[in-house]
Amino acid sequence: MLEKLIQMIEGNAERMAEELKGMLLGNPETSSYQVLADITLYKDIFGIYSHLGYWLLRDVEKAEVRTYYSETGRKLSAMGFPLHEVVQAQAATKRHIWDSISDAGIMRTAKDLDSAVDLITFLNRFFDMATYYVTLGYCEALGLQGESGSETWNAPEVSTR
Amino acid sequence: MLTKKIVKLIEDNASELAKEIQGKLLQHPSTHSYQNIDERMLYDWIYDVCSRFSYWLDEDKEKGEVQKHYRNLGKERFSQNFMLPEVISALYITKRQLWEFIAAGREVESALNLNQIVETSVLLVRFFDHAVLHVTEGYEDMFRENYGYVASLENREQLAQAIAAKRKRQEGTYEESKLPTLCFTKGMIRLG
Repeated sequence: MLEKLIQMIEGNAERMAEELKGMLLGNPETSSYQVLADITLYKDIFGIYSHLGYWLLRDVEKAEVRTYYSETGRKLSAMGFPLHEVVQAQAATKRHIWDSISDAGIMRTAKDLDSAVDLITFLNRFFDMATYYVTLGYCEALGLQGESGSETWNAPEVSTR
Repeated sequence: MLTKKIVKLIEDNASELAKEIQGKLLQHPSTHSYQNIDERMLYDWIYDVCSRFSYWLDEDKEKGEVQKHYRNLGKERFSQNFMLPEVISALYITKRQLWEFIAAGREVESALNLNQIVETSVLLVRFFDHAVLHVTEGYEDMFRENYGYVASLENREQLAQAIAAKRKRQEGTYEESKLPTLCFTKGMIRLG
């Protein structure tokens, strides 16, 4: 069932990426995203949605999350994005995924809900890391890096059924 | 509200949870600087979140008190020489411990119980998303005050210029191609 929930997002990646793109471009709290080329913003979102299973379940070491999001943080810092808007966009993406699943009305039985609990665990694990590394990359680009700044996040293993 | 029971459970176990979270923060490599602050203060901060969980999750507080509290926390941690990723990591570790506590109470056969857990998770995630956002804003305030740093796109004029430049680029991309057009003349095709 967890896979089914993930496939629902991957299968609707195009429509959902357009939707989130519109939300980010229309929200005054993420107005800096208006400077990105529409196609770039779309592709970035689509890349997450269309491979959600990979990002959540198969990138076990989370090495790619670290590389991708640190680089994203550095890039957006260089482009002059305010950090709180970047953090806001990460949270909006996570919320959009969860709202899409929640609104689809597919969580009716105890089994469905049990899988939803697993999905919440994996989603948060991924987006927590993404936000941590995007912030780390952003601060590195500004020349702000502390003692533990280069540490791998080493998230504890998640316990699911 | 479905979540009441779970929230109460967290508040009832606040002391134990606060100790566990404190231990994690002191050991985790991504929250190294927390070893430098007074343990009692750290414990009190975590205990405050856990013991008044229902207070913090209240939606009405989001715009005002949560914003003020965490923006100030961001400023305070900056003054204590904490790096922002450390502070964010500490918030996520706290959230994760609370989530593990909540999810541990899941009864696989009970849709009601699982519904309560899912509903609580939405509140928990929303609260910590706000906390992380406002801590970041507090840090940005300090970047501005101490280094005079303001992200260029925060400036309305520069943002407008960058958006205009992007539109110009995109218009260029969508310009009609200059390829020769096809003309049909008495059944023949010739290039126009």
